[in-house]
Amino acid sequence: MHRPPSRLRTLLASASPAVWVLLAIAVVTSLYVWQRPARHYEGLLFWTAARAHTPAYAPLIEKWNRVHPPEKRVNMLLLDSGALERRMLSGFLSGTPVSDLMEVERSVAGRAFTGPVEDVGFLDLTDRLRDEGLLDKINAPSFGAWTTRGRIFGLPHDVHPVLLAYRSDIVEAAGIDVSQIETWDDLIRAFRPLMKDFDGDGRTDRYILNFWSTNGDVATALMLQAGGRFFDENDRPVINSEINARVLATLATWTAGTTRISVDAPEFSATGNQLRLQGTVIASVMPDWLAGVWKIDLPALSGKIKLMPLPTWTPGGRRTSAQGGSMLGIPKASRDPEACWAFAKELYLSPALAAESYRALSIITPVKEFWSLPVFDEPDAYFGGQPAGRLFINQAPNVPTRSSSPYGTLAQARITDALISLAAVINRTGETDVEKLLPEARRLLDFAQDQVARQVDRNVFLRPSPPVATSVSELSAPSAVSQP
Amino acid sequence: MNTPAKRRRFRSEPTWVPWLFLAPFLVTIAVFLAWPLIQSVLLSMQQTYGPRTTRWIGFENFTFLLGDPLFWKALRNTVVFACGSVFLQLPLSLGLAMLLNRPGLKGRAFFRLIFFAPSLVGLVFVGLMFALMFEKRTGMINVALHALFASFNPEFPWLQEYVMPALILAALWLYVGFNMIYFLAALQHVPAELMEAAALDGAGPWQRFRHVVVPEIMPVVSFVVLLSLLGSFQLFELPFILLNGPGPDNSGLTIVMYLYQMGFSANDLGYASAIGWMLALMLGTFALGQRLWMKKEEAK
Repeated sequence: MHRPPSRLRTLLASASPAVWVLLAIAVVTSLYVWQRPARHYEGLLFWTAARAHTPAYAPLIEKWNRVHPPEKRVNMLLLDSGALERRMLSGFLSGTPVSDLMEVERSVAGRAFTGPVEDVGFLDLTDRLRDEGLLDKINAPSFGAWTTRGRIFGLPHDVHPVLLAYRSDIVEAAGIDVSQIETWDDLIRAFRPLMKDFDGDGRTDRYILNFWSTNGDVATALMLQAGGRFFDENDRPVINSEINARVLATLATWTAGTTRISVDAPEFSATGNQLRLQGTVIASVMPDWLAGVWKIDLPALSGKIKLMPLPTWTPGGRRTSAQGGSMLGIPKASRDPEACWAFAKELYLSPALAAESYRALSIITPVKEFWSLPVFDEPDAYFGGQPAGRLFINQAPNVPTRSSSPYGTLAQARITDALISLAAVINRTGETDVEKLLPEARRLLDFAQDQVARQVDRNVFLRPSPPVATSVSELSAPSAVSQP
Repeated sequence: MNTPAKRRRFRSEPTWVPWLFLAPFLVTIAVFLAWPLIQSVLLSMQQTYGPRTTRWIGFENFTFLLGDPLFWKALRNTVVFACGSVFLQLPLSLGLAMLLNRPGLKGRAFFRLIFFAPSLVGLVFVGLMFALMFEKRTGMINVALHALFASFNPEFPWLQEYVMPALILAALWLYVGFNMIYFLAALQHVPAELMEAAALDGAGPWQRFRHVVVPEIMPVVSFVVLLSLLGSFQLFELPFILLNGPGPDNSGLTIVMYLYQMGFSANDLGYASAIGWMLALMLGTFALGQRLWMKKEEAK
């Protein structure tokens, strides 16, 4: 006798087995994720994206944790830089959970400064820094990148002064005395005989400088060195200055035409490192942190490199610049801002960290009183026995102040575009006279200025606020501003 | 045949029952399509600093966009890439398909796999691979060309001064085989008797191609052209990875990359939404144009 199929069978038959398998997988995995206990940190959470910094921080965090109760203990979590940036922004903009303390790099921090100053997600540290005398204790230019609209939102980690690294084996073998070099012109004159075509194919196989028109980091660092700026005190763009135009024209002649002296040997790339190892590059613009990177990535160059102050743009000018930087910030959502502030000072103002950051990463502390630590005078075998730390520190007070404008990245991109365009003009016309290139350099920087200004101007949050009524009587007064 | 009783029972079903069955579809559409679309229209008329700080600015994003040289540059780059896709990639795909469609060709499946294989590789991987290949001095392409022609400059700046040719070349390698499969399938459906009849009537290879093959495969050609245009206008990963951003002087900036930059790097979601709507308008126009053109062709 035929029995009607049960309801379960009918249901099962209504879809293919694959559908049921997929459904089962979805249910099981959802249950697993739901049941999984959330990762819980006891105490304060500290995010950083700088893997290289963490070994130096670990013993200091351990020391802090030994003497503090569980709720004030610090847990350091290393995040990918992109992940930290996204978590920071979503925390600041949407209120998702963020750490109690975070170390962020310059370009990331700038993104927190796009909106109204009262909506910046970091705690305003200005008054604390002033009241505790830290504004005098820390190298003043180091605050620039963390200051927006007159308020400081981070404790600086570094100074990042820039020197010039050169292949001492090649330069000294040629009998060149670098102490006689003061300006960029002097350097080019002294080093030009080293540019050679070794294989006779009509192409130069060794260049004076590692630089290219696409390298905006170095181009902007050299503009800052010359006294150029990209934003004024009110964060208005001032890209199209005469100083910037002159540097731009000179840099373009370095990369193109018959005056070319540079080669494209990008940092952090196999190609660039190969060119450095084979001696295609004689000199490189070197911030302190890059010295640490070279020691790890290019050990074969140990003893073949020496440092000297950057050649100046004009006699008696600045012999350094600044590149990169990190800060320690306390999010407003921090569960214990006072404990975080105490920890931030213990960490960044520690002489042990200053010494270890230099030993491990060649990074110079911004705390001026630690510049006399003996570690900075130790001869460095990598740099031919020079006291590399002292050479960087000698220039640290002179580093230019940088802007924290959220449009800094945009400004750098537009300046790089201008440099690329000017190099293309040289390649097209063959013109390499800086004076004759100046009008075109000015025109390109005017365009860059206009581009950045348009973006800054359309940001309604950065416009000066109109006067707003603060009391009922003001609201009824005829002068009260009516806002849409 | 329905009895009157059955009809009565059908009529007596409550009127909300169809809505109940439609509800999952309607809810899904409302939540995942209609609501985000409405929100993006509103967003395109605002300036935001996260969802909590917003200012209504009307059509300012759109007027700014029309005067934004970077948007026009991104559009120009995208159009150049799309032209490269349509005028280089597709003829090459069709040519390969015709070669593989030759009667008596041995190892057709093998060749098909070889030509199709690049499509199995992800765009990100292709971007990374070509970035290494296009390197100055050490990249495979410059090294090989310099070895073959001593006068070739080993510092030839593919990714600095020839960004669009480099992008089109990388996309060519990736998609030629993919489009070839469509054309091959279409060619295999061209009736053999039509080709024979044309040959008997004295039509040469070009005339057979022009008057028999092309009309027969036209629906597929038009579909592939539309697909290529839509894909080209949504180009993002390849230049983003290959150039590690928009490239020197924004020479590799595409519309979607500009949208991404504005929305997720500059935090300007309102402006990014305005760019998105402009892109949607362009893509809608292409789709509509293709539809009208196909209708006209069918009417012939």
